[in-house]
Parts: sequence; C-alpha cells; structure tokens
Amino acid sequence: MTATPASPEMAESEPAAVTDPQAYVAQVMAEIEEEVRLRRTSGDLPPKLERELDELFLAHSPVAGRGGDLTEALRMVDAATFVDPVVPVDSERAAGAVVKKGMRTVLLWYVGWITHQVSQFASAVSRTLHIVEGRLKELERKVEVQRVPSAGVVELPAVHGAEAWWVDPAVDAVKSTPGRIVHAASGDGWLVRKIIAAGGDAYGVDPRTNLVDQGVLTVSDLRGEDLADHLRAVAPAGLGAIVLSGVVDGMASGEREQLLRLIAVTLAPGGVLVVHSLSRSSWDSADAPYEADLAPGRPLRADTWRQLLDQNGYQATVSSGPGEADYLVTAVRATLPPSEPTLAR
Amino acid sequence: MSTAGPQGPPVAVHQFVPTLNPHDATGTHTLLLRDILRGAGWRSEIFAEAIHDDLAVEAHKYWMYPDHAAPGDVHIYQFSTSSAVAGFLAERTEPLIVDFHNFTGPEHFTGWEPHTEDRAARAHDELVLLAGRAELGLADSHFNERDLRRAGYHRTSVIPVLVDYGRVGTGSPPDERVAAELARAHARGGADILFVGRIVPSKAQHELVKALWAYRRLYDPLARLHLVGGTSSFGYLKALRGFIAELGLADAVRITGEVSDSALAAYFAAADVYLSLSAHEGFGVPLIEAMVAGVPVVARDVGAVAETVEDAALLLPASDPSFIAAAVRRVCTDEVLRQRLVEAGRRRVPMLSLDAIAPKVVAAVATVAGAPR
Repeated sequence: MTATPASPEMAESEPAAVTDPQAYVAQVMAEIEEEVRLRRTSGDLPPKLERELDELFLAHSPVAGRGGDLTEALRMVDAATFVDPVVPVDSERAAGAVVKKGMRTVLLWYVGWITHQVSQFASAVSRTLHIVEGRLKELERKVEVQRVPSAGVVELPAVHGAEAWWVDPAVDAVKSTPGRIVHAASGDGWLVRKIIAAGGDAYGVDPRTNLVDQGVLTVSDLRGEDLADHLRAVAPAGLGAIVLSGVVDGMASGEREQLLRLIAVTLAPGGVLVVHSLSRSSWDSADAPYEADLAPGRPLRADTWRQLLDQNGYQATVSSGPGEADYLVTAVRATLPPSEPTLAR
Repeated sequence: MSTAGPQGPPVAVHQFVPTLNPHDATGTHTLLLRDILRGAGWRSEIFAEAIHDDLAVEAHKYWMYPDHAAPGDVHIYQFSTSSAVAGFLAERTEPLIVDFHNFTGPEHFTGWEPHTEDRAARAHDELVLLAGRAELGLADSHFNERDLRRAGYHRTSVIPVLVDYGRVGTGSPPDERVAAELARAHARGGADILFVGRIVPSKAQHELVKALWAYRRLYDPLARLHLVGGTSSFGYLKALRGFIAELGLADAVRITGEVSDSALAAYFAAADVYLSLSAHEGFGVPLIEAMVAGVPVVARDVGAVAETVEDAALLLPASDPSFIAAAVRRVCTDEVLRQRLVEAGRRRVPMLSLDAIAPKVVAAVATVAGAPR
C-alpha cells in the first residue's frame, strides 16, 4: 500500500508522542481540526458548499428530501410508473451481452406481460395520489390562517454568551457525561467551545446557518439544522447530554411536547438535560428581541419545567438568574437497573 | 434451568434464525455457534424461516421443529430482524436465550423503504414480546445490551459476534483478477478507500461519496472509493448512483455488489484506508476484518463502533466531508499514525477470535442449559 505525498500543512507526528496513546490521539484530532479550520478559512471548501452536497443528494432521494414537497415527490412517482421490460444487456465480459440479449428475447413475452400490469397499477396509484394532492392543497389553503409557526431562536446578548451566570453551572453539569453533548441553539459555537475546553465531547446545532458558517471556522462540529430534525436522525440513547438555550422559550405546547418526546428517545439513561430559558418578565420587557413577539408561545415558569421533567422520569433542579430575568433547569434522566456482570473480555 | 437427567441423551440447544445466509454476520455467527455447541457436547440444529440454497443441508424450516422437539431442549433465537419465528418461539415453552444482533431502527429507512421501515418497527415489538420468555439475553456489544435492557430483558450478557476472520486474512488468498485490476488503478496514483457493507441508508454510503469528493478536491484528485456489498435498498442504490454521477465521480467510485471471499480479500489487500461513516452499527464486523488485513481504520463514532474497535481506529465525532477528508489524509500520509492503528488492530483481533469467544458463549449457554455432557 502506498500513500500520496503529504500536504505541507500537515506535519507528520513525532514518534515520541506515541508513548501516551490517549494524548497522541488527542493531539492528532486537534491537528486534524486545525487543518479543517485552515482549509475552511482559506475558502478551499466553504461550509456552504458542504451543505450543498447534502441538498444535491436529497434531490436524488425518493422523497425529494426528507419531509419534501409532495408535488415533487409525485413527479418522481409519475416518472417511475412505467416499468421497462427491456432490460439493459451491457456486459463487462465477452459474450455476456449476447447471452443477456438472448435471455431477454426469450423472456420478454413473459416479463412484458407482468410489467404491463405493474405499470397499469402504478399509473392508477399515481392518478389517485394526484387527486389526494389536489384535495390536500385545498385543505391547506383553508387551514393556513390557523397555522402555528415554529418558534425561532430567541436570544438576548446579555444572557446568551460565554460570560452569562448560567454557563458555568451548565458546563459543570454536562462536561463529565459519557457520550456526546449537543448544544442548541449553538450560534457560532460559543458554548460548544467552553464544554470542549472543560473536557466534554460537544457539538452544536442551530438552524441559523449564517452563524454556523462563521462558527465552523473555529469549531469543526457545528450543524446548520433544526434541532428536532437533528434529533430524529440521532440513534436512540445516542446522546450523553443536551443543552437547550434560546430554543424552548417561545415554543408552542405541541412543539415543546414533540421535542421532549425526541429527547426521551435520544438521551441515554443517566444523561443530562439542561434547559436555559428567559423568564416571562424578560420576555415581555421592552428590550426583548423582536422574535419574542413573533413566537407562538411564551416561556414556562421554572417550576413548571421542573414539574414537567419530574413527571417524565427526570430529577430536575432549578436555579434563577439575577433579577429573575432567566433561569436554568438541570435534569438527570433516570438510569436503567444496573447490568449484570458481563462475560465479554 | 432445564437439563436432561443423568441417564438421558445429551441436552439439545437448538438455534432459530430468521434467515440463514452464508455471507452475512448473523448467518456466519449461527453456523459457528452450532459447531461450538456441538463441540461442547450439546446436540444442536438450526431452524430458520428462510434458508439460502447453499445452506439447505445445514438447517431445517422452523415450523418443522415440533418433529425434532425433545424434553430438555433449550432454544437460542438469533434476533436480527422481524420474523414469524419470533411469534413461533413466543408460543413455545422451552427455555429461551435471545442472542441479539440489533436491527437498524425504522428512522433510517424513512422515505426510502416503507416496507423495511414497517419491518424494523415490528422487530422492536417482537424483541419486547420475547423479553418475558427469555431466561437470558445475549448481545454483541454493550450498545446492543442497552437496547435489550430497555426492551425488558433483566438478565443479559455481552458476547461479541462469532466471525471467522480468516476469510480476509491468510485463510483466503486474494482473487488474482480483482487484485490485478486494483493494482493497475493504484499504479496510476491516488489512494484507495474501502468500505464493506450492504448498500442501505443506515450505512450512509452517500456520506462516503461526499467525503471522497472533498478528499479529491482538497488533497488527492485521483483517489478512489470502493463500496463492497450487495443491497436490499434499490431506491437508495439508485439515489447513490445518481449522486455519484452528478458529482462527476463515476470513474472514482466502484460499487461492486456482493463479492466472493477471495475478492473481498483483494479489496482489503489493496486498501490504503478503511472508512466507515455508518449512521448505525450494532457491532461492525468489517471493522475487525480491516484490522485482520492490516488496513488502518477511520470510523464515525456511532452505535457500538467505539467498543468494537477500542483504540484501533481513528474515531470521528462528525461526518462533515472536510473533516473526514482531513482525517483520511492524515492516516494516508502519517506513517506513525498509520502504524499505530495497524498495530493496535493486530492486538484487538485476538480478543474477538473464535478461540477467545467460544468459551464465553459456552459458559453463558450453560447457565440456562446446564453443563454439557
């Protein structure tokens, strides 16, 4: 096995570093992250381009993107309604094409009869789906005026930054958690950096892709996506801790319940959920951000959060910020009964 | 606990499995376990819902079990997917061991394979259904054990999947034709990146394509990606092919389909790096096969991957193409790191060898079936 020449940016490790394997791997990972940061900063591979790769792939998926447009999905159904019985006969092997063509000729009367019926069935399904789509659109027009929008990220500069009172307690609560720690809404990664510096394995999620694009220049693992969409893609019990700030404050009750259900699936037993929220008085104050007015819901009281989480199998504690402008809820999820000694290793 | 009397015939420990295939991890595990059980002194047969033609003589249809049933029988169910076998075993009264290999959650098939999504959801219900019947739950990994305990299994143990890793090592010489093709491509320059696994959404081969695209753009315009494995998700395969073509990578990505053991050995022998970006892994047999073949492993840290590889892989927390590309580049060019990973892999493999695992599985089965005679 040979490898291509090293790039000038990436120095070869010193053999001496191998004496402490953990430190060596940490050093390698840090150097890789630095390499990524340099590449992104130089414009070699802008984060926007990486996102476009995702969109490009989703354009090929059968649903034209998860939760994609129905009309577009139906277009793909239409395109797939005809089942072609004339199979390709190309072959990499000599005589392969001749053999395949012969088999195709022999079988075409049979396969063609089957595929004709399949195509007819698919066409009928497609026609039905178009009728359903038409009726759905009509319904959507009628209910549009009653639609509850998703809550956006609501942040106040004074309480959503590395110097805020609640940041150190939040970091302390999650830094030793086994498993990954996700912060939403992570912005440019200000809290992710603090958790990593404290020894936690953190990454960030935020739908505001402009902030994510800035952040990935210093923190490699920030994802420009909605938190709920992200949690749907995480494996059950795949997270050690979840930190929410600026996320739940303006949620409507249905959206909040859905988020808690997703958290219940993705947070490992014994995992930690940290919720930071503005208080109602901050929400209604004159200097509240405009997103507060547009949000479909209002912040819960801190005790309501505690009650809600206790009922759902967490042990929650609450602390309030200066002037009760905001509060922090730290909740530990109940663990499973202890495992019997294992036979492995 | 159920054993035959001291004067009776040996206790039988029979296995049930949804599908007995020669080339998948569960099929291999089942066959090897049958041999181990017999070697330990138990009678042992395999009963399956579907049996691959090549293995027709190795197993019986599960509904024929009543013809073979005898007092003192113990059952092991190799649980890997939804199957009518689960309902059949739920109705039986023999002591049951559920050997859980995990199944990919329905969320990974959403939008791709509606029938598979439904099947995955049913698999979870069946796992719960058998919890009340099982005297012991075995899991390939602590990750899988956690799922077992969540499903209501109170007595569990972790025993890694049984694999004959010789098929990619010295046991199977590389296919000469494949090896020659790969050597010709390699001579033109560029790294060879390998992934082995079924082409399904949960294995995330599209993430590998994205990583290759970034890797070629940033470091190595001649790099190639080999995706070895069959598919049961033709929608995903079609999307993957379209994506590859649209990125202009048709000549750089090779989708091989299922290959023979000797061809697999040739791919491992030619690989510069083994890269796994799966979204879900209950164990990850090819990760160990790469170690057997002396190929350094770079893997996304999901599911049971970390405990499977221990310190013998570069584990990545994210799958951003630029991050993956930089990690692959590092492994391809940093000889110290490369050697460290390969050596760690060589240390890891014996811990998962048949010799190491067989006594553990016999001890676990004996807790339900009694000591073999």
